[in-house]
Parts: sequence; C-alpha cells; structure tokens
Amino acid sequence: MELAKNLNASVNKSFGKTDLLVDLAQSISGVILIGFLWMHMLFVATIVVSPELFDALSEGLDKYYLAQFGIPATILVIIIHIFLAGRRAPLRLRDLRITYRMASLMKHYDTWVWVGQVITALGVGIMASMHLWTILTHWPLRAATSAARVASNGPADITWGSFTFPYYVVFYVIFLIFGEYHGGFGLYRILVKWGWWERHTMGWVLKGITVIIVVLGLTALYTFTKIAANPALGGAIH
Amino acid sequence: MGRQITISCFRFNPNIPGDKPRMQDYKLEEYEGMTLFIALNDIREKLDPTLVFDFVCRAAICGSCAMLINGRPRLACKTMTRNLPSHFTVMPLPVFKLIGDLSVDTGKWFRDLQMRTEAWIHTTKKFDFNALEVRMDNKIAEEIYEPERCVECGCCVACCITANIRDDFMGATGINRVCRFIIDPRDERADAEYFEVVGDEGGTFGCVGLMACDDMCPMELPLQENLAFVRRKMAGAGLKLTFPGIKL
Repeated sequence: MELAKNLNASVNKSFGKTDLLVDLAQSISGVILIGFLWMHMLFVATIVVSPELFDALSEGLDKYYLAQFGIPATILVIIIHIFLAGRRAPLRLRDLRITYRMASLMKHYDTWVWVGQVITALGVGIMASMHLWTILTHWPLRAATSAARVASNGPADITWGSFTFPYYVVFYVIFLIFGEYHGGFGLYRILVKWGWWERHTMGWVLKGITVIIVVLGLTALYTFTKIAANPALGGAIH
Repeated sequence: MGRQITISCFRFNPNIPGDKPRMQDYKLEEYEGMTLFIALNDIREKLDPTLVFDFVCRAAICGSCAMLINGRPRLACKTMTRNLPSHFTVMPLPVFKLIGDLSVDTGKWFRDLQMRTEAWIHTTKKFDFNALEVRMDNKIAEEIYEPERCVECGCCVACCITANIRDDFMGATGINRVCRFIIDPRDERADAEYFEVVGDEGGTFGCVGLMACDDMCPMELPLQENLAFVRRKMAGAGLKLTFPGIKL
C-alpha cells in the first residue's frame, strides 16, 4: 500500500525545524528590507548634496546592473516578508478583537507600537506597489526625472490663485513615515527577540536613526520640489 | 480620615445558574499602607461576602492574587492602593479558566506547562543518600536563581497578545522555565532535546516580541534576556550550529 507507506513515513516524523526556519527567515527578510530602506534613503538624500552626485550614483547603479538586479530581488524579498510576517498579524476578527481589547485595557506602549506596525505594514505594502509602478514606468531614475515626478501635480504647478493638491509630495511623506515606522520598530523587535541588548536603550538608538532618516527623506523631497521649480537647477523637464 | 476609593469589580460566577457578567462598585476608605489585597478582604468582610478572589501568602510569593488592576496584570498584594487613582477597576486574568469573579484557575495551566516542558532535572546519575551533595558554582547558582524566582502568577501569560490568541503558546513563564533548566548543569538534556520541547511556534518561536511580559512581570524577572537566550540557543540547536567563544 503506497498510501500506508507514505502515511507511516509522515506520521513518525517530528514536526522538525519548520517553525525555526520560518521565524529565522522572517527576521532575516526584515533585516534585509530595513537595510535596503536605509541605504535607499541615503542614496536618495545625495540629491541634497548635488543633482550631479545623485545622477552619478544612479547611473552607476544602472551601469553595473545593480538596479536591474536589485529591484526584482527586493520585490521578491518583500513578497516573502509579507507571507512570513503576515502570519503573525491578527487577521481573523476574533484575533483583532482580542488584540484591540488587550491593548486598550493594558495601555502598554510596545503592544500599541506593534498594532501600529500591523497598520503601517498594510500601508507600506500598498504604497510600495504604487511607488514601484511609478518609478518603473518613468525609467531611468535621474535627478531631473525624479524631481519632475515628485513635483508633478504639485508645487511646480502652483500659481497664486489656483491651488493644486500636491499628490506626490503627500504620498511620499506618508510613505516615508510609514516605511520608517514599520522598519525601525521592526528592527527593534527583531533585536529584542534575538539580541543581547537592553531594549530601552536600543529603542532610543533606533528611534534616533529613524528620525535622522525621516529628516533626510523630507529634506530630499524638499530639494526635489525646488529643482523641479527651477530650470537652472536641472528641472528643465517640467 | 483617608481617601475614599471606589473599586469597580468584575463579578460573574459561572457556577451560579443565571449569573451574568457585570461590573460592581465598592466604596471604601483607604488607610495607611493599604494594598489591594487588604482592600479586597475589607470588601469581603464588611461589604460583600460573596466576592470571590484568591490569595494565600499576601507577600508576593505564592502568585495567587494576580488580576487585571486598571487593565494591567499585577499582584493584588504587591499593589498599594495609594498608587492607584481613587476609582479603578479589577478584573480576572484572561487566558485562564474563570472560577468566579476575580479568581482564575492558573493551577491547571501551570500543571500542563510542567508536564509539557518536563520541568524537572533529567539525570542518569543515581542518587546516593549517604554522599555529600555535589557543590555548585556560586555564579551558576545565581544564574539559575534568576529565572527560578518565577512565582507562576500568570501575569506574563495574561498580558501576552500571542498567548491570548493562541492556546498552545506557553508564554514567557514557559520559556523562562526551560531557560532555567538549560542553565542548570545537573540537567543532562542535550540542546536537541530542549528543541523538541520549545523549538516550535508553541514555544520560543511563537514569541512576537511585544515585551508586555518583560514590562509587567511582578517579580521583575529579566524576561527579555531569558527569552532571547532560549531563542538563540534553540536556533543554534535546530541548525546544529555551535558558536565557540560566543556566549549565547
């Protein structure tokens, strides 16, 4: 009996290392993504120094196929991370209710932070897809194209008397804050689970880094709108 | 004349047919050095003899009087009423089976945990009644003493979202318990054997790291440290990796 033989082989097997591997993979994918995010923001922030530096870096990434390889790889890691970390999220109504009730009852900081992580995860998932779509359909990424994209339908179009809602600026501000919140606290949680460090001190260090990255991102965003508005700075496209 | 305090108590006795869960207010006068344990006894003596709650030692040793005080799990005997607002709530711990009002059955839960983690020294050595007890290094004894201080009150289980959602999660107290035996040199279990006990989602890899246990443990056990230690240890055992020179 083939079936009996198969069953015999599977029922005697210990549950094994699946839970360990899945948990480890979740943490590793998280670390990779936060590493990517911080690097990404540092690269974007080169625009603050000069559009030439931004272009040189961007061209370098294209030339050595780092972008062509990196973007699909990142998408893959994001998808893996959604599946791995998603299994922790309270998605059933019953679990949501328990989470909300306990968090409200206890008023416990870290528990609420985690609820925020679940919410920002949803936001980041949606906005990352939108972001990928807009950058991939406006390839290549250069100071001028990025500035035009950021400022389109926004600051560059504003004339007194006719206000245009700055969709892209608002989008990027929310995306930046959501992404950094989710990633920053995600790394905190990974280190709490695996690390040797006292979590309150570590939390403040990570909050510091997160604030720096958010400020860098906002400065970059501001610089892009300036470039778009001023053809002399390389914003001629708009 | 002390402060007037109002305690909103959860009332429900599943053994009384037709009883419905409700919150009931008790007003009493606070006096110097009053703990919630004293306040609840006052209520039972003077206001309402039907109020059900647990206590034994009144000194944070037995872990019986754990309850949600203003939403947070704490020991009633270790909570001074003067540190609480003049109107506060007390509720039974979630996760555990309700016996009545503020009393829950942590005993069965911890008995199951005891069996599941095989929380006793596993040794092949035969016990010799006449021999002197083998001496233990003081440093190791102190290391074991830290997780050993757990009073099994259940606060870490009650405040853990994972334990609230999933019945099979052993909570910080369970992982902490295993930590105690991993450190103990008298327990001859190999890491691979501990892996069979805690190396799954019901044990160390089920922890999401919300650290409510670490913040709310009435005994202030170093739970973050112990949980991370077990996680690293079990990851090493599962992957069959050893890290010579690195203290996991």
